[in-house]
Amino acid sequence: MCGIVGYLDKSGKKNGQLGVTVMQMLTALGRRGPDSAGAAVYTPRHDEAHILRVKLGDHGDFAERAAEVIRRVGARSAIQEQAQDKEYLRLVIGYEGTPQDLQAAIESIHPDVEVISYGAALDIIKQVGSPRALDQRFGLERARGTHAIAHTRLSTESRIDLSHSQPFWAHGALDLATVHNGHITNYHKLRRLYEQRGVRFYTENDSEIIGIYLGEQLATGRSFENALRSSLKFFDGSFSYLAATADAIGFVKDPFSLKPLIVSETDDFVAIATEAVALSASVGDDAPTWEPPAGSVKVWTVPGQADPEPARSRLAAASFA
Amino acid sequence: MEQIDCDNKTTREINTALRALISQGETEICVRNPRARHNLAVGLIQPAHIVFEGSVGYYCGGMGDGPTIEVHGSAGWGLAEGIMSGTIVVEKNAGNGAAAAIRGGTVIVRGDVSARAGISMKGGTIIVGGSVGYATGFMMQKGTLIILGNAGMALGDSLYEGHIFLGGQVEELGNDAVVAETDSQDAVFLTQTLAAFGYDAARYDFRKIVAGRKLWNFDKKDFESWRVAL
Repeated sequence: MCGIVGYLDKSGKKNGQLGVTVMQMLTALGRRGPDSAGAAVYTPRHDEAHILRVKLGDHGDFAERAAEVIRRVGARSAIQEQAQDKEYLRLVIGYEGTPQDLQAAIESIHPDVEVISYGAALDIIKQVGSPRALDQRFGLERARGTHAIAHTRLSTESRIDLSHSQPFWAHGALDLATVHNGHITNYHKLRRLYEQRGVRFYTENDSEIIGIYLGEQLATGRSFENALRSSLKFFDGSFSYLAATADAIGFVKDPFSLKPLIVSETDDFVAIATEAVALSASVGDDAPTWEPPAGSVKVWTVPGQADPEPARSRLAAASFA
Repeated sequence: MEQIDCDNKTTREINTALRALISQGETEICVRNPRARHNLAVGLIQPAHIVFEGSVGYYCGGMGDGPTIEVHGSAGWGLAEGIMSGTIVVEKNAGNGAAAAIRGGTVIVRGDVSARAGISMKGGTIIVGGSVGYATGFMMQKGTLIILGNAGMALGDSLYEGHIFLGGQVEELGNDAVVAETDSQDAVFLTQTLAAFGYDAARYDFRKIVAGRKLWNFDKKDFESWRVAL
């Protein structure tokens, strides 16, 4: 029984209230998932830089590992910003190679080291604990951007730790992230097929496979919407999930309508949440709401509009406030 | 009219306040700021008139036996689940499983409802002004489901008894759901039932959907249809 939320500002400008809105939605759904909380915030940049967020390990002092990540990344690209707080290292870099090569260079340091997110606009923050604790550590309420997806988790079948928390970055696919409520029942079978082809799984959380599938579909040239649509036939089980890219957000609802999802939309925004209570607490009760039908998919795209404001997500790598 | 403001109250406090007012003989109660909360006005067994000024969450009015509830907004999942009698009117939309397993009473949703409205209903009447989602009337056993708009996949799947009247189009009928002839009694019933809630039956060309009764008894010859049904 997880809670998922998404919000997209249709103006295409960076919404200064994005973080506040996402926090209101997440907090309202907090009781659906007390185990962990996380958000994927999309903030377009005007430079070519990418945001890299690395989990340095599960326990201990990570200064040495941070230094090693910085050394390896620094050998491949310019590092514009860096910040570390405990297990998290956040870098802004000018890397031009493939995400896979960068990821391999970083993750070969130690099996515990994982790239949590990598993108031109994407920045993922997540941890064990409540939405409030997430905000206290990372300053979620200060986040600005065009869109975001977020998650509160009630673990049913896999461990409760940072890596098993959502949103999941689709490893290797720039800017692609997912949040899922439900259960992919053909996960084990699909996972074996992927593993035979050399795909690495970072968790035992069935939700992780959604991003792997979507990343693979996008890599073949499929559109985001078609990738979402084809996932309806690829996955079995109960699922309402949201996926986001640098310029779009979309939902998929399983063919039996087993998991809730509700949408509130005006000319200015679209807000999506597991329960109406999250919409009521954020965008209010006046906007029309509708529940997506069984087996439906919908995508909203950020209009490509020049934003005069300087680029900065305001999300802390850590407690930078 | 007595008022209850939901803000700064727990759900239990709101429901306790409702019961207290009803037991004092209050028959008109207005509930403000429900803000899509779950489990409001559940298990009420007196004929009071309760108005929610806003949207409600899951299971609103569930297990009721007598009250008249109006929701000036939308309702979440499990609206009016298992009610015995009474009337529940939702002005906008309702989520999955609306009026699930009701034994009596009338549930009206003026907007759309999501999947499985009237699942396993054992009596009563459901009226939907808009469209209905997947597997509406699944395994219904008795009662009447009136849909003025369109229906999604698996309408009336595996129903035992009862009637579904459909004013719009259906994406696909469910297993063993078949279209039957309407008669003059149906027309009178529809006209009267709908008129009570401001709908004109004459504006719709209703089709009646009932059980084909093929799934009533197991027959090895029908194994294929059973396999699909289950």
